[in-house]
Amino acid sequence: MKRVLEGSQAVAEAVRLSRVAVISAYPITPQTHIVETLSDFCAQGKMNARFLRVESEHSALASLIGSATTGVRAFTATSGQGLALMHEVLHWTSGARLPIVMAEVNRALAPGWNIWIDQTDSLAQRDTGWIQFYCESGQEVLDTVIQSYRLGEEVNLPVMVVLDAFFLSHTYEPVDVPEQEEVDRFLPPFVPKFKADPAAPCAFGPLVPPAAYMEMRHSMAQAMEEALRRYPAMEEAFEGLFGRRYGTVEAVHCEGSDIVLVTTGTVTSTCRQVIEELRGKGEKAGLLKLRMFRPFPTGEIRRHLGGAKKVAVIDRNFSFGASGIFAQEIRAALCNEPGHPPVFGFVAGIGGRDVTADTLKEIYEQVKAKESPEKESVWIGLQEVRNET
Amino acid sequence: MKLEVLDREYMYPGHVACPGCGAAIAMRFLLKTLGEKVIMVLPACCWSVIAGPYPQSTLKIPVIHSAFETGGAVATGVRAALDIQGDTETTVVTWAGDGGTFDIGFQALSGAVERNENFIYVCYDNEAYMNTGVQRSSSTPYGAWTTTTPGREWKKMRKKNIVEALVAHRIPYAATANIAFPEDLVTKVKKARDTKGSRFLHIFATCPTGWRIPSEMSVRIARMAVQTNIFPLYEVEDGVRYTINYKPKEFPVKEYFHLQGRFQHLTDEDLDHIQDMVNEDWQLLLRKAGERTP
Amino acid sequence: MEKRNDTAKTSLLILPRTFTSTEANKTGSWRYLRPRYEEKTSPCSAACPAGEDIARIEMLAEEGLFKEAWETILRENPFPAVCGRVCFHPCEGKCNRGEFDEAVAIHQLERFLADTARKNDSKPVIVGRNEKRPEKIAIAGAGPAGLAAAYFLTRLGYGCEIFEAREEAGGILRWGIPPYRLPLDVFRAEIARIQDLGIPIRTGTPLGPSFLSEAKGKYAAVFLGCGHSRPRGLGIPGEDLEGVEEGLPFLASIRRGNMPKISGPVAVVGGGNSAVDVARSVARLGGESWILYRRRREDMPAFETEILQALEEGVKIRELLAPVRLERKDGRFVLTLQPMRVDGKDVDGRGRIVPDGDVETMEFAKVFKAIGEEAGEDWYRPPAEDRDVLRLSNCTVSMKPGLPIVVYGGDLAASLKSVVHAVASAKEGAIALDILFREGRENLSGGLLKCRVGEGPSLSMEIHLGGPRARRSGHVVGYSEINTDYFQMAPRITQPRLLPEERLRGFDEIDLRISANMAIREAGRCFNCGLCNQCDNCFLFCPDMSIHRGEGGKDRWIDYDYCKGCGLCAAECPRNAMVLEEEEGS
Repeated sequence: MKRVLEGSQAVAEAVRLSRVAVISAYPITPQTHIVETLSDFCAQGKMNARFLRVESEHSALASLIGSATTGVRAFTATSGQGLALMHEVLHWTSGARLPIVMAEVNRALAPGWNIWIDQTDSLAQRDTGWIQFYCESGQEVLDTVIQSYRLGEEVNLPVMVVLDAFFLSHTYEPVDVPEQEEVDRFLPPFVPKFKADPAAPCAFGPLVPPAAYMEMRHSMAQAMEEALRRYPAMEEAFEGLFGRRYGTVEAVHCEGSDIVLVTTGTVTSTCRQVIEELRGKGEKAGLLKLRMFRPFPTGEIRRHLGGAKKVAVIDRNFSFGASGIFAQEIRAALCNEPGHPPVFGFVAGIGGRDVTADTLKEIYEQVKAKESPEKESVWIGLQEVRNET
Repeated sequence: MKLEVLDREYMYPGHVACPGCGAAIAMRFLLKTLGEKVIMVLPACCWSVIAGPYPQSTLKIPVIHSAFETGGAVATGVRAALDIQGDTETTVVTWAGDGGTFDIGFQALSGAVERNENFIYVCYDNEAYMNTGVQRSSSTPYGAWTTTTPGREWKKMRKKNIVEALVAHRIPYAATANIAFPEDLVTKVKKARDTKGSRFLHIFATCPTGWRIPSEMSVRIARMAVQTNIFPLYEVEDGVRYTINYKPKEFPVKEYFHLQGRFQHLTDEDLDHIQDMVNEDWQLLLRKAGERTP
Repeated sequence: MEKRNDTAKTSLLILPRTFTSTEANKTGSWRYLRPRYEEKTSPCSAACPAGEDIARIEMLAEEGLFKEAWETILRENPFPAVCGRVCFHPCEGKCNRGEFDEAVAIHQLERFLADTARKNDSKPVIVGRNEKRPEKIAIAGAGPAGLAAAYFLTRLGYGCEIFEAREEAGGILRWGIPPYRLPLDVFRAEIARIQDLGIPIRTGTPLGPSFLSEAKGKYAAVFLGCGHSRPRGLGIPGEDLEGVEEGLPFLASIRRGNMPKISGPVAVVGGGNSAVDVARSVARLGGESWILYRRRREDMPAFETEILQALEEGVKIRELLAPVRLERKDGRFVLTLQPMRVDGKDVDGRGRIVPDGDVETMEFAKVFKAIGEEAGEDWYRPPAEDRDVLRLSNCTVSMKPGLPIVVYGGDLAASLKSVVHAVASAKEGAIALDILFREGRENLSGGLLKCRVGEGPSLSMEIHLGGPRARRSGHVVGYSEINTDYFQMAPRITQPRLLPEERLRGFDEIDLRISANMAIREAGRCFNCGLCNQCDNCFLFCPDMSIHRGEGGKDRWIDYDYCKGCGLCAAECPRNAMVLEEEEGS
């Protein structure tokens, strides 16, 4: 049923429809609407779940490790500082092979306190073994949460569903909220492959010596590959029931384009408009939306970008001492392809600064004007600072 | 002394605890009293290693090893999952050392008991970060040598009173226990088992390795800790009702300190000062228990 | 959900989860000290001249196994009912509990166990050797030594025959100890039990000195337990005046039922048990007893409890007075006494006395002499030690050629004159004969050493027969080896007793019964030094689950595959029933 929902509410609806049993969360702007809505669902009996009001994000995810190990479907949501605090436990979750799903609202990291969109928080966790999806719309967020439970439970890896602070979390859009029976057909009840059970006791997460640890980590690596392999079939099933699919990437006019812009999150929506406008003027411009970031869809990246003359990646994040992170990863995906295009990196919209159509056009013009990138990443939209310390 | 405990063992031999380990004795008593319908959360501590390296486990109950500071949090999640699945019989127990309780785990513990989560939190206290090599924790007693309070930097802060900190949360049941008093310990575990809400047990568990004593002195030293009023045995219900379980006869603290290598550097003056502090704390406890102070 | 194949499943899910136990780690290899169960000797049993297994007796009594406890006494001593009344209980003097609060009332418990057995008409299982030996043994004297010798020898398989001069068996038990300490029926029952073993007692049959030479051929050995029946003289003028009586015959007369009325002050010269018995008997017959002793009160050989009770009964004691002369005057006896004082020490450790000042006189209605006895006949006396004569701790063994082996026992040769020493002497003699007959003279001292209790000199028949006690270590457990943290102070029971005024009314037994509850409680005070009483501390405190209990909770054993040798079991054993030894090859 189509409803006008805030991005946060869309997440909450998906969690409800996924029949999550334990929710554990600590409030942090701008994730708060997600947990408040879920809290309300539980209080009203719309969800048969336990809501744990823990005392920090670290404890939020830690408590879910307890729940998931005891055999139930679990959910949390956080943002920025909270995700950073969870870092140790993110590693633990994936190492424990627990299919927990988290909604991560991309928010800048302090200091200075900044509650607005920035992707560095989630990308700084890219090595933690979590599957990561970057969403563009409220509908996508709802659909992705449901998909994540199915995919995660198949391969036993946790999934982070990432959405932009305020631009997605607090924006109202029309969202088709499916019926419970439909979702049940796509997502059956959670049957854990292992659980803490007095009837069959064992210890989870003991001391593991060098002789045994490597295989466990390799198993996680294999699970990521498996996730990538199973993704199309999963989306196939999803489309069959709900009429929607997203792909690991979405290519818009990539074929035959000279310059392809690569975006993630809500910037993609702005970019779609810009590409239409540019093409209207005769520019051979294309757009690649990157949705699945972990596992990294190398095949798709090569397929859609290999033929372009230049690639421009817009990063709303930065790896200090190197470059924008998406740019790095795309460069890495392409570097072994013979004759691959140069990758221009652009850093924009840091800490909630707007990425407008003009910004994107400026980026396009810069790329068009240069043969190859002078720097790994160029920061767009910087202003002069008068008062230096 | 014949103790009514189950004959069944819930631990396999072959674990790698040091000879004479008080923590091993404490776990054994706990499990014999609770039986096998238990899920145990085990944050980083000596027992993370004692429990056995992959693929071995020494415990006959399910164990969820967890990160150092998460003892209270993981247990919260386990309990929620059991409850939502309709299992009200399985007991959730967190088994943590003093480091993971008094220091790094304190937040999660405080959070969990503030919510009155329905679980038993057991802290076995060997008075330092023993697993990592005898470093000081806030549970290390006044006067002790540790590897991070060596020489004249011996610990000059008093041991944190964790039970009182939890009593301030008004939890249904908090108690101290000691491996040298098995009947009392078993009684308290039973009481905890039969209570709902957050229950806390603080078990004094000698560490011969870290305290620099011969292994066969483990139980005797633990007994002396109670006999000297250094570690009184008492319970607090609902944060208000104190019961002192054992009132020893006059037993000066000197011998307790003389017998342990970690206290060898203390002078008579230091020991007198410690005796005063012990007396003061004991008087305070008596007052809380509503007993006349002599 | 589409199906996955199994290989995909296994390769996808290798996670840190255990699937086996730690039992593969044989942590026993860590050990450099090894614990072991080793029962040891309790100080009470070593102090008991009869070597009774007292720690075990109390352990069984505490569990309410009164018959088994009684049978344990009978292994070492055929006279529990007698000793439970008349023994001077050196065991209590060595009781480790005495250093904690008060010694266990072992003496009272022995009496309780014996009386309970008699009340229930219990038939004891008496352990002995099955084989019958060819040697026959003659026993002279049916006193405690002779009777005990027959008891032990019969258990060892020897046929015995007892010859008793008087008309009834019992010796000092029948004729010497007053009824208020040892009622008639009590020891008659004990003697009957010995006779039930098939031992003939020929009463009214005194033996003459030629008996020894005539015995050769008929008997392989003779045990002489004739006792000391000849009273010693005072060596003063007037001691044989008419009316002056000897102590022992007086007591024997009372034992026959004669209760003459006596009034007025009565002197009893002497300081031993006989003197005290005479004085107390006189008090009951109406007289005012005065014990006159030439040394100090603390030098008196009489048992301390007897002296105290005598004082309670109004008997007066005057010390450091030596009799000089006895005269008659106006129907009274006038005794001249020389005051003495102590000047240095005698050879036996008692104060050496010398005259001190002027004599004094005292008047008495009657005078008794009770300064001790000696062997009634010269041939009773053990010969001097030489190549063929061995002086053992409590008996003398004479192996002169041409004669049967003669064992001099009881008062004739024991280190102290008491009933329990008579039993000890009989046991030593019996074991010595057994070794001589079966293994030869060269094995005698070694064989006796083997059945010592602790460091000796007490011997155990059970050890000699190879019973479980033989497996115990001879180490005597000291108080410092008891873990007193496991015991709480508890008062010793008081012996219920007739009040002094009640006692003086007649010769009824003055010590009263204790109840089973009191007995169990008192037996519970015993530390059971050196014995395992299955308290399970070892089992409780083992961090490695390496202590196991056998069937029925008995027989603990240690799993050395896992035992790390931490020593907690041995340290927390309250009663030192374990040892920690160096591991081999460490």
